[in-house]
Amino acid sequence: MWFGKVKNGDICVSNDFLKSFKEAWNEFEKLPLPFSIVELGKKVFGSEKNYYQTLRKVAIKVAEEKINLELRREDRYVVMLVKALNELIDTVNLLEEKCRDVEEIKESEITAELKEKIAELEKLRGRIEDEIENVLKKIAPNLCEVANPIIAAKLLEKAGSLKKLAFLPASKIQVMGAEKSLYKAFSRMRKGKKAKVPKHGVIFQHPFIKTLPKSKRGKMARFMAAKLAIAARIDYFKGEIDENLAESVRKKYEELMRH
Amino acid sequence: MKVEKILHNVYLIDKKTIATKSSYGSHYGEKILLNEFREWIPYRSKLAAVFLKGYLVNIKPDWKILYLGAASGTTVSHLSDIIDKGIIYAVEYSAKPFLKFIELAKERKNIIPILEDASKPWMYSGIVEEVDFVYQDIAQKNQVEIFKLNCKIFLKERGEGIIMVKARSIDSTVDPEIVFNRVVKELSKDFKILRYGTLEPFHKDHVFVHVRLS
Repeated sequence: MWFGKVKNGDICVSNDFLKSFKEAWNEFEKLPLPFSIVELGKKVFGSEKNYYQTLRKVAIKVAEEKINLELRREDRYVVMLVKALNELIDTVNLLEEKCRDVEEIKESEITAELKEKIAELEKLRGRIEDEIENVLKKIAPNLCEVANPIIAAKLLEKAGSLKKLAFLPASKIQVMGAEKSLYKAFSRMRKGKKAKVPKHGVIFQHPFIKTLPKSKRGKMARFMAAKLAIAARIDYFKGEIDENLAESVRKKYEELMRH
Repeated sequence: MKVEKILHNVYLIDKKTIATKSSYGSHYGEKILLNEFREWIPYRSKLAAVFLKGYLVNIKPDWKILYLGAASGTTVSHLSDIIDKGIIYAVEYSAKPFLKFIELAKERKNIIPILEDASKPWMYSGIVEEVDFVYQDIAQKNQVEIFKLNCKIFLKERGEGIIMVKARSIDSTVDPEIVFNRVVKELSKDFKILRYGTLEPFHKDHVFVHVRLS
């Protein structure tokens, strides 16, 4: 039952209704139950009114929890935040440029105020980045571990949702963010010309790839993309962290660095 | 305007509009009539269509109802007006429409929302009590089977039920008439058929079957 268990005629009242509500199933062979749930509930909660009141509250809470889990709204939150962040960065850069232009001509009260506002926006930018990192570590711990939160957020934004990212092949993740050069290469290939296919998209920003010599970046990018694809799938379906994944990426990097 | 009472908290206005008396506001964009009635749109709710076609299901204000396929809660909101002394257990499996439904459950005191699969009634057997009435509106291929399963577990002796059958979702290759006859025959094995009929012109290829457990 949602408020506890019945064993040999005794009621064992649960101390966590949310948990017991979710586990309120019985074996099909034993149904319908030989007793009335409400009659038992009245004993536990004092009155019928109290019983229904508690039941209603718990039911609503559980349903809300399940919906949140189902819709995985957190990942959409991150995607939207990343989009807002990109917009913000562009705006700050533009404003800074214009502010400098004005200052060159004349420094006034208004330029000081503009500068102040730009500094505030910079601070906001930092706070959004922190928020993205916090949420992402919760919903995609493996992606954060293998790459880093910033790259994970960018991949998530490009894919649209954690589910979509989890269903992408590693080869797509590898070149995500380098679409322009990828399709340019494809069109050249179709015409029968020589073409260079990009080795990496947004994952290039990862220090493990950036710091390698050019000849080894492709290898590393391929390896990392494969591990990222696995990480996305673990994050989406299981949600638990797997240390081996990040470890294997580090080992590969060290190996490539040495030779 | 001529207001005619046809059931507890259910009124027929001007012989063509059906409405329930409600102290709550509009839930799905329906009109509020005479400040206290919420219009019950038959094109949205199949139960309203049944009532408007002239067949009344005598729903008592203190009934306990198990509602399968609550969706966003159009019909549930009106049922909740009618059974102001009862309880509705509303089961729905898909999360998106339930988001809106939760809003309804929060403002009304007699709705227990359950996000579970109606084809697995044992999963919520520890939550739902014995009920007087089972309402089912899920467009599933095995909806009759699901209805029977739920009635077996939750419906009390001589309890009633109503099932809304969508012919197209059971078998889209044969004539709807044949599907309906098959459904009625299947139901009559376990139930006494009180009444059945189509929902034309409000819903195409739909039929309701009102039954009592015998």
